[in-house]
Amino acid sequence: MGTISLKNISKSFGSTQVLNNLNVDINDGEFLTLVGPSGCGKSTLLRIIAGLEQQTSGDVLIDNKNVNRVRASERDLAMVFQSYALYPHLTVRRNLETPLRLRDYNAFERLPLIGNFSPSKKEKTESINQLVNKTSETLKISELLDRKPGQLSGGQRQRVALGRAMVREPVAFLMDEPLSNLDAALRVHMRSELSELHNSLKTTFVYVTHDQAEALTMSSRMAVMIDGNLLQLDTPQEVYDNPSSLSVAQFVGSPKINIFKGTADSSGTISFLNVNLKRKSSESNTDLHIGIRPEHLEITNESNENTFSGTVAYRENLGSDIFFHVNIEDGSNKIIVRGLPQFTHQISNGSSVNIKRVSDKALLFNQAGMRVQFTNA
Amino acid sequence: MHNSKAHIWFIAPAIVLMIIILIFPLFLAGGISFTDYNLGNKTFEWVGLENYDKMFNRKTYVKMIWATATYVIVVVPISVVLGLCAAMLLNSLRFGADIYKTIFFLPVMATLLAMAIAWEFTLHPTLGIVNSFLANGCGGVREFILGFHWLPWVDSQESWYAVACANNMDFPYWLKQKNTAIWTVCFIGIWQAFGFNMVLYLAGLTSIPRELYQAAEMDGAKSTWEQFKLVTWPMLGPTTLFVVTITTIRTFQVFDTIEILTKGGPSKTTYVMMYAIFEKAIQQNLTSIGAAITVVFIGFILVLTFFQRYVIEKRVHY
Repeated sequence: MGTISLKNISKSFGSTQVLNNLNVDINDGEFLTLVGPSGCGKSTLLRIIAGLEQQTSGDVLIDNKNVNRVRASERDLAMVFQSYALYPHLTVRRNLETPLRLRDYNAFERLPLIGNFSPSKKEKTESINQLVNKTSETLKISELLDRKPGQLSGGQRQRVALGRAMVREPVAFLMDEPLSNLDAALRVHMRSELSELHNSLKTTFVYVTHDQAEALTMSSRMAVMIDGNLLQLDTPQEVYDNPSSLSVAQFVGSPKINIFKGTADSSGTISFLNVNLKRKSSESNTDLHIGIRPEHLEITNESNENTFSGTVAYRENLGSDIFFHVNIEDGSNKIIVRGLPQFTHQISNGSSVNIKRVSDKALLFNQAGMRVQFTNA
Repeated sequence: MHNSKAHIWFIAPAIVLMIIILIFPLFLAGGISFTDYNLGNKTFEWVGLENYDKMFNRKTYVKMIWATATYVIVVVPISVVLGLCAAMLLNSLRFGADIYKTIFFLPVMATLLAMAIAWEFTLHPTLGIVNSFLANGCGGVREFILGFHWLPWVDSQESWYAVACANNMDFPYWLKQKNTAIWTVCFIGIWQAFGFNMVLYLAGLTSIPRELYQAAEMDGAKSTWEQFKLVTWPMLGPTTLFVVTITTIRTFQVFDTIEILTKGGPSKTTYVMMYAIFEKAIQQNLTSIGAAITVVFIGFILVLTFFQRYVIEKRVHY
């Protein structure tokens, strides 16, 4: 079992409130990502779960047991640190053994030399060796066991850090931006490996990242945190398609969602630029933010009441997609439009284009940044 | 490679200076140590190893080796361990660490010469604060603690403190007595050296990444001792190597306290090498024997340095 519940967690350092009354229930075997911009308190939350930091108020429950007064070493969690925090003076093998030695050997058996006289030590050593070998095979680091961390590459260190967490089969894994020190290609590769690892271990993972792409690709659920508040906790698809607020919509998705200023009249008809939407807003007579993701805009040759025009300021070619940064004609917005290379390769910087939206994809937010629904009619 | 000779001009001044003020005097001292030359003499004879023979056979020089060895062997480990303990204690303090840092570092900053004079007064047999403190404590808590009466095997009538109290306040003449002088000098040496070691260790401690302690905690290192073994001590390896080396060299060089407080006495129990070199070569103008002691002295330092460089260095850098 590995359920973790956070109840009304608040944390402040002096007068700075870092976490604001958070409630999260993490299910057994789940891959939960805490995602948010730097300084949003996600790492602090992870460290509160780990027991390395004490919350100002609220409760942490692991497997329905309150662990507020239980210290980190007794919570049976394993953590992978951003800097890996491997013991530089120990070989990879000893690094992997350390959590087992500290837990399985008693104080006497850990003594140098005379500890070897304990009758049960041999058996324990045997089982430790087996576990270390098994883990290093899973992570493909068997041939590195006799090296020191200083002789390893970033990716290898990362694996060793994972191995040290895995070796003793904890209740849950806590990972604090484990991929942020890797180069881009390796990071993408490790994403899939971590997901596979999670599938095979079936243990709870709590994963902290500032990279929304990692959150979207790996997690079963993601918790979006901004400024110490938990804004949305849902599956990645749901968070992407159905963000609860403007901040979440802007944070999740790359390139960023386009935001247009618009209004809803007394009948709830929404208009922005020269366009009217077909669907009506549930809030009438108000200013609105209309969010449309880059992939829901298209460059078109048509020109009618559903299109608007602008000039391409910058063309960002990613190979599979081309993103056009377009200045809208009235000068109010700079938006990003996705184009497929086969249709848009001839469009260059400075050309004027017409833009059409894909219908039924717009998201509405009110002035306070909260989501506004369309009426069903 | 090209033919420019500019590099010679860049390194020449340093090389020339080094040869004139370091290498040449060293060889000169080595040469003189095989002669009977004294400063001012017009001629000299080669006497071979006679000076060295004296050094290892005459009682004075054997005592010199003993005094030096005792001083180094006592002061180095104690001041290093004390420095480490003080640094770790200070590192765990939330308030007031700066005050303690200053207090412990004061002996390092102050002129040892002046400090030695202060110690001379403090330890004066009749006027000194130490002995008057002891005398006033007869029969009280001080006697119980300092007389080790709290140890089960110490007879409270027979302890050194009780005996001194009984014999009309016959407390040790710290610096004037054969059996206490070297230990008193050692004590002052430790007092003087450990503040410096503490500062070095404090610097070493702050450079240990906090995440390592947290990783150790997550791995199940519960007690402070386990965390010390797993993280602190190995991570302080390079610092310890440096601290031990520098403390050893500095203790080998002890001179000021000896010159002020004991002049090598009583009966040569505090006759350390630096003082012996000074006494023989400068005061008594026995240049050749002074040179021989210097050569042995340099030999010790060289052995130490090589040991540090080639044996330990490999084990503390990861």
